[in-house]
Amino acid sequence: MHRKNLALILGFFLFLVSLSAWAYQLKAGLIITHMRNPFSWGLYIATFAFFVGIAAGGLIVSSAVYLFNIAALKPFTRVASLSAFASILAAAIIILPDLGRVDKIYLLLLHPNFRSPLIWDVLVVSSYIVLTFLSVYFQLLPDWKREGRSFLNRWTQRLSPEEVEKISITWSRRIAFVGLPIAILIHTITALIFATQVSRGWWYTTILPADFISVAVASGAALCLLIALSSMGEEGFSRYGPAFAILARIAGCALVVHLFLVATDLVIHWWWANPDELELLSLLFRRYGVLYALEMVLTVFSMVYFLSSRGTTSLRTLLVGSLILLVAVFIHRLNLLFPAFNHFPLSLAVPGAANELWSYPVALGEFRPGEPTFVSSWPYVPSLGEIFVDLLPFALAIIICSWMISSYSILPSIRKGKDRTLSSSSTHSLDF
Amino acid sequence: MKLGMVIDLDRCIGCRTCMVVCKSHNAQPPGTWWNRVFTPGSPEHQVPALQKGEPQMYFLPVACQMCENPPCQKVCPVGATYTDDQGRVEVDLERCIGCRYCLAACPYQVRQFNWEDPKKAKGKAGYVEGYEYGYPFPHRDKNGRLVYIPNRPKGVVEKCTFCVQYTDNGEKPICVQACPARARFFGDLDDPHSEINEILRQRQAFRLKEELGTRPKVFYLPPTSPRK
Ligand code: SF4
Ligand code: SF4
Repeated sequence: MHRKNLALILGFFLFLVSLSAWAYQLKAGLIITHMRNPFSWGLYIATFAFFVGIAAGGLIVSSAVYLFNIAALKPFTRVASLSAFASILAAAIIILPDLGRVDKIYLLLLHPNFRSPLIWDVLVVSSYIVLTFLSVYFQLLPDWKREGRSFLNRWTQRLSPEEVEKISITWSRRIAFVGLPIAILIHTITALIFATQVSRGWWYTTILPADFISVAVASGAALCLLIALSSMGEEGFSRYGPAFAILARIAGCALVVHLFLVATDLVIHWWWANPDELELLSLLFRRYGVLYALEMVLTVFSMVYFLSSRGTTSLRTLLVGSLILLVAVFIHRLNLLFPAFNHFPLSLAVPGAANELWSYPVALGEFRPGEPTFVSSWPYVPSLGEIFVDLLPFALAIIICSWMISSYSILPSIRKGKDRTLSSSSTHSLDF
Repeated sequence: MKLGMVIDLDRCIGCRTCMVVCKSHNAQPPGTWWNRVFTPGSPEHQVPALQKGEPQMYFLPVACQMCENPPCQKVCPVGATYTDDQGRVEVDLERCIGCRYCLAACPYQVRQFNWEDPKKAKGKAGYVEGYEYGYPFPHRDKNGRLVYIPNRPKGVVEKCTFCVQYTDNGEKPICVQACPARARFFGDLDDPHSEINEILRQRQAFRLKEELGTRPKVFYLPPTSPRK
């Protein structure tokens, strides 16, 4: 209990910090970030893609329980749905500070351009918010009924607990079935925002949607592990060890697919030896080599760790593995941007020149006395203000998760099993 | 009517007059340039680059290419970027929500974002007190959409408009009017007798990044004898 309160306090603290940073940004403009014209999407968009990833993963886990009947994972459907709901809200909220005119956001509804993948994303992300909310809601409904809470469940007043239980089971199952395709869709479409852009060689690949899905499954499973383990501790581990091991395996396998896709993509970029493609690779391996190496090492490490029996033997190894995996995925999201923006689309081949590929300089959008306004590359690193604003989705996710976990029975029953009768509490969470 | 432009690279002397008049007539804040002129292959403008062992150079002006298949318009989630009935790709400054998707999409990197309030940026740049520049009135299209205003709101995107405030009155864009080398031609691509169609029939022309299929309405006449 104490630990959860601590998490809630931390969440609120981060929330306040990020809100103040955002207020400052609203006043000064996006100039407080280090994004500029040549590098126009940065930490916020990377964070968005990261959260969309772990959001879909959550529902993929809980849907898999119903679709493939993995009984051992059943106790985790609630925590998976909750993590999906929290992360998709987090993903949605980090888009707000990225908008130059967030005050005009209603125009998305008034004048949607259905040709824009961004509008497709608005549609699927909002459906996903509703869906994950309903998923959490229906799973908690029987508890609320039993405990006599009247939050959003007045309509169940006239029903008997058994009837409510039945509604909960049917609807949870239905949502899981609809949820899976939509979870896959939010990835596909988030990937299409990037993959449709012929001007950015790094994004323009059909592999991207499939890769987004594999990364989502891996990071979504890792997040479920992280939330469940950190709130249930040793006790939970000793009781649900095999289920945790399955989650870790799922994450490991998804990483195998991810690495396979990445590898084929790199080979295709390299093979033809077109100067544009080679420039991309040189950005990835030289200029951003350290970051990329870190991503690869962490990804391969967590994959091997989770697939070998080593990583799943104890609470600590599972926690460490999940954290490393999530860090690796976050770096992967950043690396979506660096080679994309720092290889300028308006690069011209100048035959016979020393510089075969010449990038047409771009104006920064900011005048800095004594420094060039036109650049051929922009060493983007998030500014401090940007990092503070970027805490917003993390804070929101922490608040939602810790508040829900401390108020409702989201986690598989271990502690509650002591004071309630074990059989009743475990059956209700196991059998919906 | 489909307005287009032809730029003769043989005539361009790289003087950057068009850059400056564009900037000042369109009140672009410091650090923002709708129109750029550079020396391909060279790290510095007006410095020849070594080509096949010989120093050579030519100049390439680049502003919005007014694509007929404009990625910037297709990605814009709110339809702020649109093509008007004269073929000009414009930005509705009151509609733009500042998502900057178009900056990622435009292959010519001509789109410029207002990272801060332009008035503030102008203040910081150290102009003489009270100095203001640019066409002073807001300009709306036929449908009342705001396509030009001297100081754009912070957080929106802007770019070359083909000088909508002038071309709406039948005048030519300011870069065409001011070019001392007469390297720029402007007119209606739909009219077979227009000056630009005459030129395009007589001379070999190319468009930038043709392979991307954006179908620009800005054409270039290649340099036949690069300057040394
Ligand atoms: S050059 Fe760029 S901004 Fe202009 S129409 Fe083409 S894509 Fe749009
Ligand atoms: S920044 Fe403005 S013009 Fe560009 S895509 Fe977004 S809303 Fe459209």
